[in-house]
Amino acid sequence: MKWDIPSLEELEDAVWKCTACGNCKVAYDFGPPPTYGEICPAGVEYGFDGNMASKGKIAFARGILDGQLEWNQDFVDDIYKCTICGGCQNQCELDHKPVIPEIIEAMRRKAVEDGVGPMPTQKVIAQSMRSYNNPYQGPRRVRTDWTRPFKKAKTPIKNIMKKDAPILFFVGCTGAFNLPVRNFPVATASIFQKLGLDFGILGENEICCGSTAMRLGDVDEFKRVAETNMKTFKDLRDNHGVETIVTSCAGCFRAMKKDYSLSDEYEDHMGGLKIIHTMDFLFNYFKEGKMKFTKELPWKVTYHDPCHTGRHLIDYDVDEDGSKQWKGSYLGKNEDNCLYDIPREMIKAIPGIDFKEMERIRSNSYCCGGGGGVMTGYGDWAVKNAGLRVQEALDTGAEQMVSICPFCHFNLNEGSKRIKSKMKVYDLVELIDMVL
Amino acid sequence: MTEMPEESRVDSRITARLCEIVGEKNATDMKHIRYAYSYDLSFVKSKLPDYVVMPTSVEQVQEVMKFANQEKISVTPFTAGTNIGGLCIPENGGILLDMKRMNNIIRIDEESHYAIIEPGVSHAKFASALAKYNLRFSWPVGPPSASTSSCAISHGIGGLSARYGLNSEEITSMEVVLPTGELVRVGSCAIQEDAWHSCLPLPRMDGLFTGWLGTSGVITKLGLRVHPTPPILKVFTTSAQNIGHMASYLRTLGNYEICDDLTGVSWWLSQVPIPYPYKPKPSDAPEWISFATTFSWTEKEREAREEIWRMVMDEETKKGSSLKETEYPEEALRARTQLPSQIVGSTKNYTKQGGAGISWPGTFTPLNKWEPVYEGWKKILIERNLSPAVRVTNYRGVHYGMLRAMIPFPKKEPATIENARQDIVECLKIDLDNGGIPYKPPVDFGVEINKRAHPGYVELLKKTKQMLDPNDIMNTGKLAL
Repeated sequence: MKWDIPSLEELEDAVWKCTACGNCKVAYDFGPPPTYGEICPAGVEYGFDGNMASKGKIAFARGILDGQLEWNQDFVDDIYKCTICGGCQNQCELDHKPVIPEIIEAMRRKAVEDGVGPMPTQKVIAQSMRSYNNPYQGPRRVRTDWTRPFKKAKTPIKNIMKKDAPILFFVGCTGAFNLPVRNFPVATASIFQKLGLDFGILGENEICCGSTAMRLGDVDEFKRVAETNMKTFKDLRDNHGVETIVTSCAGCFRAMKKDYSLSDEYEDHMGGLKIIHTMDFLFNYFKEGKMKFTKELPWKVTYHDPCHTGRHLIDYDVDEDGSKQWKGSYLGKNEDNCLYDIPREMIKAIPGIDFKEMERIRSNSYCCGGGGGVMTGYGDWAVKNAGLRVQEALDTGAEQMVSICPFCHFNLNEGSKRIKSKMKVYDLVELIDMVL
Repeated sequence: MTEMPEESRVDSRITARLCEIVGEKNATDMKHIRYAYSYDLSFVKSKLPDYVVMPTSVEQVQEVMKFANQEKISVTPFTAGTNIGGLCIPENGGILLDMKRMNNIIRIDEESHYAIIEPGVSHAKFASALAKYNLRFSWPVGPPSASTSSCAISHGIGGLSARYGLNSEEITSMEVVLPTGELVRVGSCAIQEDAWHSCLPLPRMDGLFTGWLGTSGVITKLGLRVHPTPPILKVFTTSAQNIGHMASYLRTLGNYEICDDLTGVSWWLSQVPIPYPYKPKPSDAPEWISFATTFSWTEKEREAREEIWRMVMDEETKKGSSLKETEYPEEALRARTQLPSQIVGSTKNYTKQGGAGISWPGTFTPLNKWEPVYEGWKKILIERNLSPAVRVTNYRGVHYGMLRAMIPFPKKEPATIENARQDIVECLKIDLDNGGIPYKPPVDFGVEINKRAHPGYVELLKKTKQMLDPNDIMNTGKLAL
C-alpha cells in the first residue's frame, strides 16, 4: 500500500506562506457584538510565541528547513507540546491554512525519523502499540470486558467475524480499555439494541485505528495498523455483509475518514463502506422518528465540540490547478461534515434539558487539552487545560457537560476533579441511552 | 531563504538571574524559542534575541530593567510583533521582553469614556470588552491579536482617525518603567493615583514614550479614551479615475468633518488580495476608490450626513471631477469597516498572493502632496513588478494625512525580499522630498530621516534618550542616531 503522507520538506512552500501575522493566536469574531477567546492551549500554558498557535509552530518548521534549528531535547519537547487541535488553523486565511496540522505532524514525523521523537512518556504508546495493538497496554482479552453486562443480560453482542451483520460497531481502544469512559461503548451498544439494529463488533480482533500513532509522528506504526484495519474492513465488506462502520470514538472516526484516505488503496478497501460517527448515525433514526426520547432529564447541560468531530472535519477548497486564483490558493472552507448541529439538536430534543452554550463553540471550540498525544505526554498540563474548559462550562450555569469524544470525556472529567467542581461529564450516547 | 539570524551571546548566568526574577517558566535562552522572535512580516533582516522574558507584574518589569541596565543588556519590548517595520526585531540581541502575560483590562469607565489596559491586551479582547458597554476604539487594520497599547504608543491609526486623529492622541495617562527600572507616571494618574482620565492640563510628558522608533520605556498601564458606538453605519463609496480627483474629493469632504474614517485606495489595494506580481488594472476600472465611514445616532443625523456628502459630490463634479458613486468590493469593504478584522488581521488582503512578506512605505504626508508622491511611487512600483497598492487617509478632518503602499513579497527568495526593500527605500525618498514623514519605519529609514532632520532636533533626541536611558539599553540601535 502506498501512502501520500507528506514530509516536512514537501510542505516547505506552505511553510513559506505564513506571514507570522499572529492572527492565529486568538479566536475572534467581529459579530456584532465582537467575541474573543484564547484558542491555543499551548499558548495559554507556555506563552512564548514559539509555543503559541500556528505562528509559533511554523517558526519551528521554518527554523528546521532553514537549517537554523537543530534537534535537542527542549526543542523536541516543544514540538510535542501541541494538541494539534486546529484552533489556530481556524483563524488563518492564508494558503497554508489547509495543511497547518500536517506541518506540525510532519515535524513530528521528522523527529521520529531522526530518532529523537516522540517524548519518553509517549514512547510507551508506541511500544504498547507494537506489543498490544493498542496504546493502553491492554491485553487483547480485556478488549471485550465492556460487553459483560450484555452477556449477563442474555443479550450478547455479535462477533462480526463469526456472525455477519451490516453494521460494524468499531469500539476504539479508549472505550475498551480506559475504565472511566467505558460506559460509552456500553451505552452505544445498548442504544443499538434498543433500536433493534443488526450489528456486531470485532471483539478481541479489533486493533487500534492508528490515530494516536499518526498524531505522534510514528508513521510506520500508523501504516501498520491502518493497513491491517483496511484489509479487515475490505474483508468485512466483501465477505461478511458489512455496509456501515459506526464508531463513537472521534479519534477513530477522524482516522478512518481522513488519515486512511491518504492510502492509494483507500477506495479499493473502503469504497462502498459508510464510515459514520455514532451521533450522525443515530441522528438519522431520530429524524425519521425511529428513535424517540421517552424519559425526562431535568439537567442543565452544555456541549463541548471535540476537535476530531469539528474542525478536523472541515473540507478545504484549494485551487489545485490554478484555474480559479492561483495554484495552491486556499479558496474557502466547507463545514458540512462537522458535527456541530447534530449533537446540539439531539441534546435539545431530550425532554427536560436546559441547554446552555459556552462562548467558544463550534469551529472556535477551546480544545480540552487531551489531543495530539498531550494526554499521555503531558498529563498534568492536559488536565489543567481541561479545568479551564470546565470552568467555562460552569460559567454558563451548566451542571453537566456533554461531548462525543472519549478523549475529551476522560480529560474533561479529570479537569473537573482538578478544579474541584461538581461538573459531571458525559458522552451524549449516555444521555440518549438514559432517555430511550 | 531568509538571511541567517546572527548567532547570539547567551550567558547562562544571565538566564539564571532572569529566571529568578520572572520564574523558570517565563524566561529562557532556548534557541528555538528565540528563533520565533527573530523575524516578522517585514523584509527586515532576522536577528536573534539572546533571552526571552515574559514578566507578569510591574515589579518584575522593574527588576528586569534594573538588572539589564546594570549589566548593560539591550532590551526590546514585544507585545504581538505584528508591525510591518521590524520594530520588535532585536537589533542588538539582548532581552526580548514579551509583555503578553500582562493582559488585564483594569478598568472601563463607561461614564467618563476611558479605559485602563495593560500592554498585552489585544484589540480582540478590548473590542469584546468595550462592546458590552457599547463603546469602541479606533481599531487599526491589523490582526485582532495585536496589542492596543503598542498601536497607541507608536502612533497607530484606526477606523476613527478621520475624526479623532491618531491613537496616540487618545492616550489619557500612562504608567511606565524607565530603562533604569524606576516607575513613573504621566498624565492625571501622576497626580492622583486613581485618576486616569487625561494627560492635560499637565505638560505632555507622554511624548517621552510615544512615537519613538522603538519604545523609550516599558509602558505597564495605559489610559485610553474610548467612544460610544452610534447604531447607524453608513459608508459612502466613490470612485475616481485618478489620484488628483480622489484627493480633491477627500479634502473637500474632510472639511466637513463628518466621517470617522475617510480613505481612498488604489484599485490594486481594493483587491483581496493585492495582486502579486503587478498586473494592470482592467481598463474599465477606476484607478481610485474611496470609503467614507459615518456613524449616526438617528436617521435624521444620517440623512444630514448624506446631504453633506451629496453636496460634496456635486461640488466636485462641477469642478470636472471623474468622481462617481460606486460599489466598493464587498470583501474589501468588510475588511475595512468591520474592525478589528480577521480579513486584514490574517493579512489575507495584503499578502495572500505574495507569500509571507509584507512591508510598506508608511508615511504622514499632507493631503496636497498625495498626487505627486503617488505618481512617483506608482512608477517605481510598476518598474519593480509590484502593484501600486496605495492608501490615502485623512486624519482629523484635513489636518494631516497618511499615504502608504502595502508591498507584498515572497519571503522564500532573497531576491524578492531585496526587490521590495529597495522599492520601499526609493518610495520613502520621494515622500521625504515632498515633506512627508515615514512612520514606524525600519532602522535604515530612520537613518535617512535623521540625515535630513534639523540638527537641533537630532541633538534634542539624543539628549532625551540619554536622560531616559543612560546606558542605551532600550531598543538599542533602533533610533538610528
